[in-house]
Amino acid sequence: MSVSEAPARSSAPVRERRNIVPLVRAAVLIILAAIALTTPGFLSQPSMLSLLTTVSFIGCVAVGMTLITISGNIMSFSLGALVGATAMIFILVVNWAGFAVGLVAALVFAGLGNALQGFLVGWLRANPIIVSIAALALISGVAEAFAAHGTVYAAAGTSYAGFKGKLAGLPVEFVVFLGLTALAQLILTFTAFGRHLFLIGSSFRAAEAVGIRIWRTVTGAYLWAGLFTAPAGIMLAMRYDAASMNYGIGYEYDAIAAVLVGGTVIKGGEGSVLRTLAGALVIGIIQVVLVLQGLRTEWQYLIAGLIVLGVIALQTQGRRD
Amino acid sequence: MTDILSVDGLSKSFGGLTALRDVSLALRAGEIRAICGENGAGKSTLVKLLMGIFAPDAGTIAIDGARRTIRGPREAQALGLGLVAQELSLAPRLSILDNIWLGSPDVPLLYRRRALRQRAQQALDTVGAGDWDLDTPVSALGIGQRQLVEIARLIARNARLLILDEPTATLSDSEIARVLAVLKGLAARGHAIIYVSHRLGEVFELCDSVTVLRNGEHVATRPVRDITREQLIELMLGRPFGDMYPPASARPDAGSAVVVDRLRVPGHVHDVSFTAPRGKILCIAGQLGSGANMVTRALAGLVPDATGNVALDGKPLQLGSVPHCVARDVLFLSEDRAAEGIFPQRSVLENLLAAGLGSHKHFGVLDWPRLRRIAQRLAERVAVDQRRLAAAAGKLSGGNQQKLLFGRAIERPRPGVLLMNEPTRGIDVGARADIYRIMRELCALGYALIMTSSELEEVVGISDIVVTMYRGRTIARYEHDAIAMARILADITHPAQAVA
Repeated sequence: MSVSEAPARSSAPVRERRNIVPLVRAAVLIILAAIALTTPGFLSQPSMLSLLTTVSFIGCVAVGMTLITISGNIMSFSLGALVGATAMIFILVVNWAGFAVGLVAALVFAGLGNALQGFLVGWLRANPIIVSIAALALISGVAEAFAAHGTVYAAAGTSYAGFKGKLAGLPVEFVVFLGLTALAQLILTFTAFGRHLFLIGSSFRAAEAVGIRIWRTVTGAYLWAGLFTAPAGIMLAMRYDAASMNYGIGYEYDAIAAVLVGGTVIKGGEGSVLRTLAGALVIGIIQVVLVLQGLRTEWQYLIAGLIVLGVIALQTQGRRD
Repeated sequence: MTDILSVDGLSKSFGGLTALRDVSLALRAGEIRAICGENGAGKSTLVKLLMGIFAPDAGTIAIDGARRTIRGPREAQALGLGLVAQELSLAPRLSILDNIWLGSPDVPLLYRRRALRQRAQQALDTVGAGDWDLDTPVSALGIGQRQLVEIARLIARNARLLILDEPTATLSDSEIARVLAVLKGLAARGHAIIYVSHRLGEVFELCDSVTVLRNGEHVATRPVRDITREQLIELMLGRPFGDMYPPASARPDAGSAVVVDRLRVPGHVHDVSFTAPRGKILCIAGQLGSGANMVTRALAGLVPDATGNVALDGKPLQLGSVPHCVARDVLFLSEDRAAEGIFPQRSVLENLLAAGLGSHKHFGVLDWPRLRRIAQRLAERVAVDQRRLAAAAGKLSGGNQQKLLFGRAIERPRPGVLLMNEPTRGIDVGARADIYRIMRELCALGYALIMTSSELEEVVGISDIVVTMYRGRTIARYEHDAIAMARILADITHPAQAVA
């Protein structure tokens, strides 16, 4: 590359590509809506209920993921495993000491377990992706050791019939998810912690220079990410009266896809939980359509992979920095 | 004799914005032409049109009297135009030789031909660096030396018109002197040079003539000997200009705010001691590598291995913790605005409030209406358009970005200490004047200001106290009338001429 070519590469192509993002977004939404509405049975009540519960589980993980992404730490691959492990801890502790203790234990486990990762990332400046992959292996390994048979079941007589009902016509899971989304958005908008997350994500060094306590804030982001993810595990356990590590498989991918489709920037510093809510709806609709079209789970991974690649290609727009 | 370059009626707009309107100019062989103007005046658009990076909407470019359409940097290069961009574009791990020929269309697939080596050597000779080994990796060179390699690269490719865009922004004074000497030599050999710079001192030292652009229009082209510095600034601003440096207020000495005793940073700063009073601007003058920038970083808490006794208002200041320093109202403004200053995607409003969010909340909830009012007031005080509070800070000009950083420091709960590295680097004249005014206002409020600058003229112009540094040690301290350019220059290049 010659000296003189440098400016050409950095300015001209970017200028042109930026304008296509809204167009692509609109086109994808229209195509998706067309496919969904022409899929037989999409508008039926069972498929709508299935859509909303799917969105709720993915959504809880995605809300947690959003905090990590905004703080500039890209994403965590361990949140899916955290869902499974939280579900198992919930069932085991409820069997042993009752619902309330089980609920608290599950939240404490998910919050602290994830905060520990945040501490490694924030204090030691460890690579967040590597830390999350290590955590994924660790959580899976420990869960394997504890539950030799793979699945733990709720003690006979435990029933969450009330939870399996509806609130204002919506599945309880979805109402919980909406509540968590609102809470996360309030934290992001109305607390110094939330604003600091954006600042750290936008420029780590500038945040350091204005005196933001980086490791505390990053650890806090992971702590909250764990707390927002935990309900997915708890609600899965209550729905099936059982728990296994299999419950969480794939959630991190769907959550990542939801965050990116929503428009939270992968580099950090920009985004919102409300956008993630929209992203989770899109991912949920795709999954329900795939099921209704009779396609198997493998296709869902394929589609999630394509979506993530597509969004990344649009977001980075030929730059790498 | 025909002009090497002649530009006639060049216009370019982006969307609805006119970046350049009907600009004409001509350049002879051997002429060094400065292009001056505030940020947004159209300087870089002009450069990009010449290099074929943008196509003009109207107007013509003629090289050696022949009209040309330049479709890209490669064509510009073939016509004898070469650009040294603001950021260095060398591959650090490759040798000088490789860097000189990297990407050249003249070079065959396997290029280690004697002829190319010789041409590279001649190019180095031309820039006065004939004694350098062509096989040295560029990473072993200083920034000033790399700049010379960039110039040699253009010479080797037979560039006859050299365009330099702020080539000295990151160089120290002795490096600048060397680059300027090389450029004068090139002009004497018949090269024409376009020199884009904010540094008026260099314009008067180096250039034969100056073209002033304002709001995309050509304002004037004059020989530099026919124009004074003040006239040039007024042409750039389009309005009369008071003194660039506002006078120091006659404030009585309020005692020492910051007492630095034997500050050390291993490898950078050795036993530096000084005191900085409130209400005054203390400037630590030193070249790149003198450790001056490290002193301010250490005082800001950004250097974990800094040691020494620092006291603020009689109470010790804990080194190595930025939050601790910010809590004592000690704030830092980095010389690296893009990476360590602004939050590019975040709004102007958030950038203004970044250092003080924690202190405006009720029961943990941020008081946004109040924060918004504060941000509006801060924007007004640092002369940033209030209508731009929602704009992303990364889209602002360098000068406005720097004002945002100052905005963070005003209105602390009590007057604090401001540590500024190169506060006006890469900033146009208008914003520069605003920043000096803000600095004096802060003085009047009782802040202690400590800055570093490698621009001597600024050091002499704005400082109340100057501490000179060389290789990590302080050399001398000057106050008020004792501040003189010659002495400071001698100190910071002390003991004898160093630096290749």
